[in-house]
Amino acid sequence: MDQLIQENKLSKEEIFETLNQFITEVIGEEFVEEMDITPASSFTKDLEMDSIEIVAFSEKVKNHFGPNIDFTGWLSNMDLDEIIRLKLEDIINYIRECQ
Amino acid sequence: MARFLFVVPPFFGHISPTLSVGASLLANGHEVAWTGLVPLADRHIPDGGRYILPEAELAPHQDEIARILKRQDDGPSLSGPEVMKLALEETYIPFARIMVPGVMRVTEDFQPDVIVNDCITFAGALAAHLKGIPCVTTTPVPPDVMGDTANSAPKIFEWQQNLIQGLQRGLGIYTDEFVIHSHQMNIVFTSKEFAGFPYPDPHMKFVGPVKGRPNDTPFDWKKLEKATGPKVFVSLGTLLVDIRKEFFLKLIEAFGNGPITIVAATDPSVIDEWPENFIVQGFVPQADIIPKMDAVICHGGFNTVNDTFMNGLPMLITPIAYDHFHTAALIENAGCGIKVRYKRLRVADVQNAMQELLENPKYRLAAQHIRDTFTRAGGNAKAVSLLEDFALSHTVTENA
Repeated sequence: MDQLIQENKLSKEEIFETLNQFITEVIGEEFVEEMDITPASSFTKDLEMDSIEIVAFSEKVKNHFGPNIDFTGWLSNMDLDEIIRLKLEDIINYIRECQ
Repeated sequence: MARFLFVVPPFFGHISPTLSVGASLLANGHEVAWTGLVPLADRHIPDGGRYILPEAELAPHQDEIARILKRQDDGPSLSGPEVMKLALEETYIPFARIMVPGVMRVTEDFQPDVIVNDCITFAGALAAHLKGIPCVTTTPVPPDVMGDTANSAPKIFEWQQNLIQGLQRGLGIYTDEFVIHSHQMNIVFTSKEFAGFPYPDPHMKFVGPVKGRPNDTPFDWKKLEKATGPKVFVSLGTLLVDIRKEFFLKLIEAFGNGPITIVAATDPSVIDEWPENFIVQGFVPQADIIPKMDAVICHGGFNTVNDTFMNGLPMLITPIAYDHFHTAALIENAGCGIKVRYKRLRVADVQNAMQELLENPKYRLAAQHIRDTFTRAGGNAKAVSLLEDFALSHTVTENA
C-alpha cells in the first residue's frame, strides 16, 4: 500500500520545485534571486505577494495540479492570522492532501 | 442657519476635504466646528471656524495615541492582511473608543444640528447615535477597499463584524445594525464611475473631489518654464518617509539627465546630488503645478490621484501599501494609467510605462473621461448643498 501511494503522490521536494518555478514566473526572476525561497517562506512576509500575484500563482497551481486543487477556496476560508502565517509548506501539504 | 460638527481622524488626507466643504458652509453663514484626536494648526482652519480638542477626555490616552500613530510608520513594510489588521483592529477601533467621550462632551457644548463623521472616525457617528443627532459620513477614498468579504472571505467578514459589534456593545449600543457610519447620507469625494459603483445605494452621494485649501507656497516657476520636453510630477505624499531615498534613486536611474523634466515633491536632502532635469522641493503648490504637467507618478495617495485626474493627466501608479492597490486597480480599470508595483519596480518598466503614457493617447483620453465624471459629480458646491438640504430636512422632521 505504502509503495502504491508513493508512486501516485508527488514528493514534497517535487512540489516545492514546481511551486518555486511558479513563484519565479509570477514575481520575476531578478526579485526571486534576492530571496532565499524555502518551504518555510511565508507568502505575505517573505515573498511579499500581493493579491493579484496570489491569484496568478493559484491559477498556475490549479492548471498544473488539477482542478480539484481549490487553492482560492482554501484560502478564502482562512482568517487574517492564518493568511499572515501561511507558508509554502502549508501549500505543499495541501496539494499532497488533495492528490 | 445650521451648526455642523466635523469629526476627523489624525490623518490630513481625511481632514483636507472637510476643510474645503467647511469653509463653504461658513461662507454661507453656518456655524462650523471640527473635533479630533490631536491638535490641528490654526492656519488650516477656515476663517470663522474652530477646532475643538477635548483635551481633558484625551489626556489619559496620550501614550496609547502616540503608540498607535507611531505604528502607522510600519504600514509600508506590512503585507495586505497585516495592513487590514493594523487599520481596523489597531487603529480605527481604539481611536473610536478613545474619542467617543470627548466627542460627546463637544457635542453637548456646541449643540450641532448635524454631526459629519469621517469614514474611519467612527466616534462621530457613534456619538450622533447616542445623542440622537442626525449624522452624515464623509468618505475621501473610493469605498469598499476590503471588497465583498461576506462572500469571498467569511472568516475575515466575521472578524470585522465582531470588532464593530464589540465596539458598539462597549458603548451600550445593542442594536445589530452598525452605527459607525451614517445610513442617511455618505458623501464620497470621487465619482461613482471611477470608484466602480455604477448603481450606488441612494444614500451614497459621489460628489467628486473638492478643491483643496489655498496653497501659495513659493516655487521655481522660471526653471519649470525653461523645460522643453515632457514634464512629469512625482509625489509620495506626506507619509512614507523611510522609502523615499530608494524610490528617488530608482527614478534618477530611470530619468536622470534625460529629456523629461521631473518635478519631485520631496525633501531635497534625501539625495546628495540631483540631476539637472529634476526640480525638487519639500512642500509644493501641487494644485498649481499639476496643470502644467504631462503625466504624474505617485503611489496612490488620493489627493494626488484627484489632482491628476481633475487635470486629465495619465498616471504611473506605484502602489506601496494600504489602499494604494485598490486605487491602482481602479486606475487600470479606467484605463487612465499604468501600475508598476513599488516592491517589484524595475527601472526599465518605469521607463517603458512612462513612454507609453506620454505617447499613447488612450491614457490621456481615459484620464479626461475621469476628469469629466469628477466635474459632473458637482464637487464642493454639491457637497455643501447636500449638507444644507440634509440639515434642513432633518430639522423639519424633528419639528413636525
